[in-house]
Formats: sequence, C-alpha cells, structure tokens
Amino acid sequence: MKLLKPSWVSHNGKPIFSVDIHPDGTKFATGGQGEDSGKVMIWNMAPVLREEDEKNENISKMLCQMDNHLACVNCVRWSNNGLYLASGGDDKLVMVWKRAAFIGPSTVFGSSSKLANVEQWRCVTILRNHTGDVMDVAWSPRDVWLASCSVDNTIVIWNARKFPEMITTLRGHTGLVKGLTWDPVGKYIASQADDHSLKVWRTVDWQMDANITKPFSECGGTTHVLRLSWSPDGQYLVSAHAMNNSGPTAQIVERDGWKTNMDFVGHRKAVTVVKFNPKIFKKKQKNGSSPKPSCPYCCCAVGSKDRSLSVWLTSLKRPLVVIHDLFDKSIMDISWTLTGLGMLVCSMDGTVAYLDFSLDELGDPLNEEEKNSIHQNIYGKSLAITSTEAQLSTTIIENPEILKYQQERQNSAQANSGPGAAAPESSAPKLNSVMNGESLEDIRKNLLKKQVETRTADGRRRITPLCIAQLDTGDFSPALFNSVPILPSGSSMSSQLTPQLSSDSSPGQASSMGLKPTHDPMLTSPPPNNTANVKSSLLLTSASKIEPMKALDSRFTERSKATPGVTATASPLNSNSIQVSMEPSVFLEVENEVSMVAGSKLSQLRCSRDGRDWNTLLPSSVVVAAGSSDILAVACEDRMLSVFSSCGRRLLPAIQLGTPASALHCSAHYVMVLTAGATLSVHWTVQREIVLLQTLIADKSDSLVQCADFRSCLPSHDTPVSSGPLAVMQGRNLNAGRLASRLSSTPHHLQQSMTLAFLENQLASALTLQSAQEYRYWLLIYARFLVNEGSEYRLRELCKELLGPVHKSAATSWEPTTLGLRKRELLREVLPVIGENLRFQRLFTEYQDQLELLRNK
Amino acid sequence: MAKVQVLNVAVLDNPSPFGNPFQFEITFECMEDLAEDLEWKIIYVGSAESEEYDQILDSVLVGPVPAGRHMFVFQADAPNTGLIPESDAVGVTVVLITCTYRSQEFIRIGYYVNNEYTDPELRENPPIKPDYTQRNILASNPRVTRFHINWEGCTERMEDCENVDPSSNSMLPPSCLPGKAPPLGVLPDNSMDCL
Repeated sequence: MKLLKPSWVSHNGKPIFSVDIHPDGTKFATGGQGEDSGKVMIWNMAPVLREEDEKNENISKMLCQMDNHLACVNCVRWSNNGLYLASGGDDKLVMVWKRAAFIGPSTVFGSSSKLANVEQWRCVTILRNHTGDVMDVAWSPRDVWLASCSVDNTIVIWNARKFPEMITTLRGHTGLVKGLTWDPVGKYIASQADDHSLKVWRTVDWQMDANITKPFSECGGTTHVLRLSWSPDGQYLVSAHAMNNSGPTAQIVERDGWKTNMDFVGHRKAVTVVKFNPKIFKKKQKNGSSPKPSCPYCCCAVGSKDRSLSVWLTSLKRPLVVIHDLFDKSIMDISWTLTGLGMLVCSMDGTVAYLDFSLDELGDPLNEEEKNSIHQNIYGKSLAITSTEAQLSTTIIENPEILKYQQERQNSAQANSGPGAAAPESSAPKLNSVMNGESLEDIRKNLLKKQVETRTADGRRRITPLCIAQLDTGDFSPALFNSVPILPSGSSMSSQLTPQLSSDSSPGQASSMGLKPTHDPMLTSPPPNNTANVKSSLLLTSASKIEPMKALDSRFTERSKATPGVTATASPLNSNSIQVSMEPSVFLEVENEVSMVAGSKLSQLRCSRDGRDWNTLLPSSVVVAAGSSDILAVACEDRMLSVFSSCGRRLLPAIQLGTPASALHCSAHYVMVLTAGATLSVHWTVQREIVLLQTLIADKSDSLVQCADFRSCLPSHDTPVSSGPLAVMQGRNLNAGRLASRLSSTPHHLQQSMTLAFLENQLASALTLQSAQEYRYWLLIYARFLVNEGSEYRLRELCKELLGPVHKSAATSWEPTTLGLRKRELLREVLPVIGENLRFQRLFTEYQDQLELLRNK
Repeated sequence: MAKVQVLNVAVLDNPSPFGNPFQFEITFECMEDLAEDLEWKIIYVGSAESEEYDQILDSVLVGPVPAGRHMFVFQADAPNTGLIPESDAVGVTVVLITCTYRSQEFIRIGYYVNNEYTDPELRENPPIKPDYTQRNILASNPRVTRFHINWEGCTERMEDCENVDPSSNSMLPPSCLPGKAPPLGVLPDNSMDCL
C-alpha cells in the first residue's frame, strides 16, 4: 500500500467535508468551506497518481472551483455516468453541475485567488426543497434518482431524468439525517440519522421497509456526518456510528432480514464514514497452489472521528490495515476509484490523503460480468445491474466482418487518444474570439457607442446589454460531432426570421383565427386553455433572442401587449393519450411543455405500438394528433404538421400549414388536415413520395422557412461536408451555437431525442429538395447516431426500407433508387457503421447476408 | 444561488481627471431569462466618515436579460464636487457599483478611489477649491459582496435575508443590514474536535 497526502489539494486550510472520484478516474471533486461561501473544487487526478505529472507545471492541478453555494458544502457526488456532479450544502440547496465544453478559462470575479478554471462546470439545476442544511446526496444506480438528506429530518428523492422534479419526500426520521446509500440493485435506499436509527426505504412505493434502532440506542448525536454504505453485492449494509458495549462500531446489517449480528470494532471514537469498494474481489491464485474455488469478498474502508482509517475485507476477521494519525481532525469522507485500487480520504483539517493498493493486497477484482452474474444469482435477471457497455465487452463476435470493423474502430480510437491524453483537456476551444466576424476586442472598443440605450416611460435610462455568448454548450454526442467547435451566438438568423414573424401578424390571418370547427368526430377535442395563449406569445419572443439588439428591444418592451397574430386558436393539449389503432394496437401520448429550453417549449410525443415504445420531440405544443396503423401525424401550435412512420422515423420535413390545424385524420398512408383557415388538405405518403392535393411545399423558398423554423433541434453543423441546396439554405440560418445553447440545460435523454429529431428532419428535407449528395450524407450521420444510441427499431426499419423486398413481386411498390442513389448501395455504406456496435451484430449479419444473396442472384 | 453572476468589471478611462464620467464595462452571466430588468447603480462615497455625503451618480435599468453572457458599459457623470466635504476632496474614498433585482440588492462591488493632484506644486499646496485632481480607481482590487436574494417573484420574502459576505474588510453598504449571524458555513468546532 502506498500513502500520499497531496498538499496542493486544499481549500486554503478550510475544512474539506466531502470528496468523490469521477467514475472515469481522471478527476475528483472536493466540497467544503470557502472564503465566505461554500466551495466545490474539481481536481485533476493525474498529479495525484504520477509524480512526474505533479511536477509538470503544464498539467493543471485544479480544474475548476465553484463558489456558488452560499454556505459550506457538505457533500459532492458524481453521477454514475460521470456527466453530472451534485453538491449539497448548508444553504439548503442541492446543485447539479455539468461541464460546459466551449467556454475558455475564467476566474471568479473578486475572489482573491487568481487561479483560472481550466474546465468550466456550470450549475444546471438548483434543487430547492429542504428547509435545513443538506448533509448528503446520492445518485441511484443508473442515475434514475438523486436522493438528498437534510437536518430538516427528511430525505428528498429527485427525478434525475427531469430535474427539478421531485419524486417524493421520505419522512419518518425524528433527527438530523446525515447519510444516505442506495442499494446497488436499486431496490432500497438506506438512511442514518441522529435519532438513533437507520432506516431502509423501498423504492417501489417509497415506504419504510426496516427501522433499525438497537445498535444505535447508545449513540450520542456527535458526528457531523453519518455516511453509511452498501456492499457492491448488495448483501450487507454497513452503518456509520453505532455502539456495542459502549464501544464505537460500524454496524453490519444483513440484507436478509436486516439482522444486526456483526460489526467492525476497533475505532476509539464514533465512525463518521463507511465506504465499500465498488469491486468484488476473489482471492489471488498463487502459483502452484491448488486452484480451489474461494468465496468472493468485499472490501470496506471505515473512517472515524478518532482520525484513523481502517480497511477491512469481509473474508478476514481483522482489518487489512489501520492507519492512525493520518489527519489532525476527524475523517469526513472516503471515495474509491472505480478500479477498486485507489482511495481518497478527506478530513476536517482540510487535507486529503490518497491510498494506493495493489492486487496482492486486495485480491483479484471480479470483472463486470462476474459481478453481474453474482447479482443475477442473488436477485434474478430483472434486478441485476446490466451495464450494457461492460456486457458488450464480453460479447462474442459472431461474424468476421464485424471483427474487422471492431478492430478498425479500436485502432482509430487509439490514434485519437495518443498525445496529450494525460493532460486535462485544457484545449477546450476558446470562444469569445470571433463574433459575426468581429472580435470581442472590437466589440468592446465600441460598446459604449453601440449599445442601445432607451428611456422607459418614467424617464429612466435603460440599457440593452450586448449578448456575447449563449449560456452554454454541453459536449453532446462527442462521438458524432467532435470536429469543429460551435461558435455561439450571432444575429444572422434575424433576416430569415423576420418575414416569418411578420407574416404571423398579418391581419388576414388574425381574422381567420376565430374560425373553429364546430365538431368533428375524429378530433380529440382539446380543452380550452387560456394560459396557453399567453405562453404562445412568449414562444415567439424567445425567437427574438438571436436578433440584433434593436429588434430585440422593441419586442421586449412590447411584451405586455398581446401581439395580435400570435394568439393561437386551438389551445394545445397539455398531456393526452389516445389510441389510434386497434390492430395492431397503437397508443399515442402527447406531453406538452416537457421541457423548457431557453424559452422554447418542447413537447414530447410518445408512441407505444405492440409494446414497443418510441418517442420524439417537437419544438412546439401539439394541438392535434392522429395516426393509423402505418403512419402518425401531429399538428403543432406553430402550424407545423409532422408525419412519422410507425417506428417513429420522420417521413416528411415539417409541413407548414397556412393556418393552425384544427382537425387531423390518418388512414393508411393518407393524412387529412382541416385547418382553421377552412382549407382541407390531404397528403398521400407512400414510400415517402408526396402527392399533394392542395397546399404543400410549393417551392424551395417555402421549405426554407420550414427548416428555419425547426428550432429546437441539435446542430451537427460542422462545416458541411456535403454542399447542396440544403446546405446553402441552412448555411446562413442554421445557427449552431444558438441551437446548442438550448441543449445545455436539458437532460441527456432529451438531447438524444432532439438530435434524432433534427437528423430525421435533415434527411426528410434533403429528400424533398432532391439533393442526393446531402441525403446520403445525412443518412450516414443518422445511421451512425442510431448505432451509437442503440435504437434498434429505427435502425431495422431503415435497413428494411433500404433493402427492399428480397424476392420481387408485383404487389410491392418498392423503388430501388432514391434520388438516383441505389438504395442497396446506400445500405452497403450503412452496414459498416452498424458493424461498429457489437450490439447490432445480428442485425448486421442479417442484412449483410441478404445483400450477398441479392448480389448473387 | 444567484441567477446573475458578475464575471468581470473593467474600469475604463482610468486614471482620469476628476470631472470625467465614470465608465465601467460590466460583464455578467445570467442562468435563465429574467422576467424583470436589473437595476445598476453607481454610488460615490463622498466622505469615508459619513453616509450623508454618498451620492448616487446614476442608476440604470438593464434589460431584457435572456440567459447567456452579456456586457454593457455603465457610464455615469462625475460626482458633484459641491457635495463633497473639502477635507475629503483629496485622498482615498470608495466608489460602489450595486445591482438590484426586484428591488433586492444581490451584489455590491466596491473600488478604492484615490484623488490626488498630479502637479507636484498643487500637491504641496492644495488649493481651496479642489477641482483639478486626478481620479485613480484601484481597478485591480475590487471588493465584491454578494447577497442572497429571492429571485423568484415577490410573493414570498426570503425568511432569512442573510448577508453572506461580511469578510473582514468588506465595505458594508450604508443601507445594508449587517449580517445577523456569524458568517454561515464556519461551523462551530463543537464536538468535532479530535484527540
């Protein structure tokens, strides 16, 4: 065992209350007291692990510090996927942080330290509910929930997929709750409090499952924290501060019947923190000795107020190691690396220690598959942790072609991670350099002259600030879009938007707004909702954000007035579910305002078909929705009609209706729309060829508006590899930075949906514009995205469409080409992409074989 | 947490003659769209001894403020020399920049200002009417005090309008309630001490 105290990890001597190592092991966070606030700091792990990195001045030690907590930070925890950091503090708040990729180093204004932040971590959500200091936070397995506990005696469970939504509050403790731990299988959460109890709660109904008091009856409420821990096999729960015959212990609670027969004894003062090693170990096989099967065991570190640290193996009766006098004050928190061999410990005295173990000391860690099989043996398949990535690493490759693609992928991955891998990614592209061809310096020089100053009604000066950057750009889908940094902001969008906005307020339309169909059997009649009208005008103003300051200002000063053209007729459904087809049974569910991104509301469309679910996002509230067994159509408040395939692929680019839709009906491949302007259009979509009886995309300029209006999608818009009509049209108005900024605050799964929606729209637009090159380009990106995100249904539908029927029959209407591109050739290009993900190797093989078959014919 | 973070204040036209307007280029970041304008003020402390000589040089509304990073230049006329005690015309005083949202002050940035004659002769024999001093703002050393305010609607006041900073040398605003409790977060060391 090696022991190191990196002296540079400090909060200027102030106490460090919490430490947590990032799941990828490259960095760690500390939380504690700052100068006059709470402080969260993120540190580089490399200088801890390697002496040469510590000495290398080019490698930053501190990556980021956040002073946003108003009072001491008691706990910092990384989410299991490593994307988020949650921190809880004495200011009663839980903050969730996310890395902002495209903002260069900065300092905290007015702080005494002049150290620049190398990485930018930005608070994406503040969770307010506790009425007292937050003592501990914990992410559930698979990051479904985030739990926080507080001195207000409660535990709050937050929906980690939809912050700041609260799932429930667990009440029952009668003292300060000071520690939380999730069952690794996700069935329970346990909490320990100053009320001399440890409680286990079920995650099924959030009721208390067990209340364990006996080992704690002698305890005094004397520790700052009570960080308990659950063993990685889920079989044991180990408490912090417990007493046995007036000696301080860490109580072992068995999952089976919550029995409390064993404890870790030896600390002279109360145990503050227990932390299980995330790995399960088995005895190291010595050379020569008979390989007798040994029982797997766990490893647990215990820290105490007596300033000592002990490490235990569940296979040994005595501790593996006890370290005294490591700190001057109580130990506050412990964190293991995911490899199970390293451990960080922090203390009230403001220092941190790193312990490095060897395999000889701890044993051989089980790999994820073995760990999974243990879980499956104990809890059955449904509850076992199925970390897909880990599982895939052990999947047998069944097809030589796949093997080839896999190897190619590994090679390129290695090439990418070659130089500079040890250093933190300080190369985050710096923004602020150029904006509309003007450097920030130029802007600053003329800012006083250029900034817009107006007088308010009461004669006061009002300055419109110059927006120099959108809030943030998360590092979304790096596998896909890692080429060019997206420059934020810019006002080039305005020229395109203006005609659209003005058309909105044309008097002719306003008059037609009043026209409403009296009744229609097909119409899922939306409940009238006045607030929606008001909100819809907000939706419009949100678009103005990217306009030049002047336009923006006038819009905002008028915000109190209702803009005439904007008041929508049909009020959007807020959340509704309909069954659109009996055979096969298709359910359609619409949830409006699922997320608010930079003022623009997103709606989610969920569809369940024969038990298969898909969902997609729309940039506006859904007014009416309908579907048949083959297609689904929805009309939105912004007068967009979207048509999807039964597997959720967008079939047509969004069609702009002249007036808001009031009724919608689908039958087989037909969509019928009745609009408020009293026009009836029928769209016939077969194999994505569009025949229009009335209004539809008449010319290219029309579809330009549609593309521009599809606002909330994700830009993959690195300088277009392909150039064609679509790129020409979008080149000017697809403002990547602005779009990206909308993503920053949305949860990961929303980002995925948005990306998907965007790609499908691009694909459909390219098709409509008959731009073959671009269609191919977007098709490949789309396929890659599906492969990365693991959306098998859509991928399969795509392949099926490209392959067409293997055996020719007169009945099929399949066209072998699209836009002059042979579909099967396209499939041949798509297949290698599919081959990169082992999960789809069956799909790959299936279509590879069929292609071969066709070629031989 | 504050929705608005001040990222930087650049002091422009510094040092400059006393009669020149103050110019601060303020860069701030906003986490989400603000429903109301921010109000910025420049307060010149005429005399360190008494609040009664404080002059609000100007106040300005800044808006609309959508989420994002923004900057503007806040220019305000020089203080009225007639309102400054003669004894304080030369020497060190303070200029404050404050920002309020929904009439609640959430940040106060203080700069030390040194007024002195550049001419050695005048320095030796200061004239009665101190008009021609040079103003030098100590731009490198801002004192930032942040206050916890209620950013959501005015319906409920924060039950505890705690003042977070009081760092030893912070410039407490004349109108500001001093923190009623010892600075939060510095936990009493009770019972946590070890052997």
